[in-house]
Amino acid sequence: MSWLVGAALLLAAISGAFVVLSRDPKRQVFALSANGTVLGVLFFVLQAPDVALSEIAVGTAVTPLLFLAAIAASKAGR
Amino acid sequence: MSERGRLAMLLAALLLLAPVAWQVALALPAFGFPTSAYGQTINALVPHMRRVSNMVAAVNFDVRGFDTIGEELMLLAATTGATVLLRGSRGENIGDRAARLPGRHLAGRADGTVLVCRAAAILLMLFGVYVVLHGTVTPGGGFQGGVIVASSLLLVYLGEGYPAWRRIARAPVLALVEGLGAFAFVVAAAVPLAWGRPALSNILPLGTWKDLFSGGTMVVVNAAVGFAVAGSFGLILGEFMEETRGPEDEDMPDEEHR
Repeated sequence: MSWLVGAALLLAAISGAFVVLSRDPKRQVFALSANGTVLGVLFFVLQAPDVALSEIAVGTAVTPLLFLAAIAASKAGR
Repeated sequence: MSERGRLAMLLAALLLLAPVAWQVALALPAFGFPTSAYGQTINALVPHMRRVSNMVAAVNFDVRGFDTIGEELMLLAATTGATVLLRGSRGENIGDRAARLPGRHLAGRADGTVLVCRAAAILLMLFGVYVVLHGTVTPGGGFQGGVIVASSLLLVYLGEGYPAWRRIARAPVLALVEGLGAFAFVVAAAVPLAWGRPALSNILPLGTWKDLFSGGTMVVVNAAVGFAVAGSFGLILGEFMEETRGPEDEDMPDEEHR
């Protein structure tokens, strides 16, 4: 394991902890988005650029947006 | 469980799992030093057999292409299911204005946001198309590029507002794009069967290594996946956004404007 892999793993653990520890759903969505970016970097460091691209597109843009839409819809009482 | 009890449980779990996780982390290959035997075999064989330089695309669309058909149809089924479920509970009486709590002000868009989104939406969509087109050459491919194209549609919503998103990302068009992509994938798998060859056999000219259109059938399948994924992600995003809209006839002042 090189220091690069170690640093990426550590960042993934820290950003994942932020997702779990944030109690406000809206903040949690943005923490999740940041976690997605970190996971993208981790996958890239582990020599999986294809997976990294998927993770960045799905994990930082699409999933958080679906959560935001769901939060907005439930707050508007639908 | 009390806060202290949960913290104690977290600490115990961390103490138990940390050594295991540490061992796994130490065993990971270092950056730039591939160790997987399967990967090495693919790296050695595929450039000659299929003339493509993105081994992941070769595995996804050729070596294990049949699995990808399953994944593709899974995406189709999931999108269809979610769309039917959401539309069924929502009904058709939905306008393009945001549903919100009474008395809550909706902030307009800054000019800078509109400007950045107009430029970025086009650039991002071009990048998505680039990632799809170069699927067999460089990292990326139909799935990744398709998601990027779909997320570039989001910037239309961010910059131009919901009515513009509704005009541009039309659900019937996206559904058609998705369905035709999945259909093209199945056709590419079925055509070799007519010649008595296994499903998804590569029957097209393979091209040259590192060339944009190398890989024969893989080029077709890659493009088909790109269309299907862009369509289905665009459709799902649209369906979720519709959930945040209010009923058409409800009189709501202070409409979304910038």
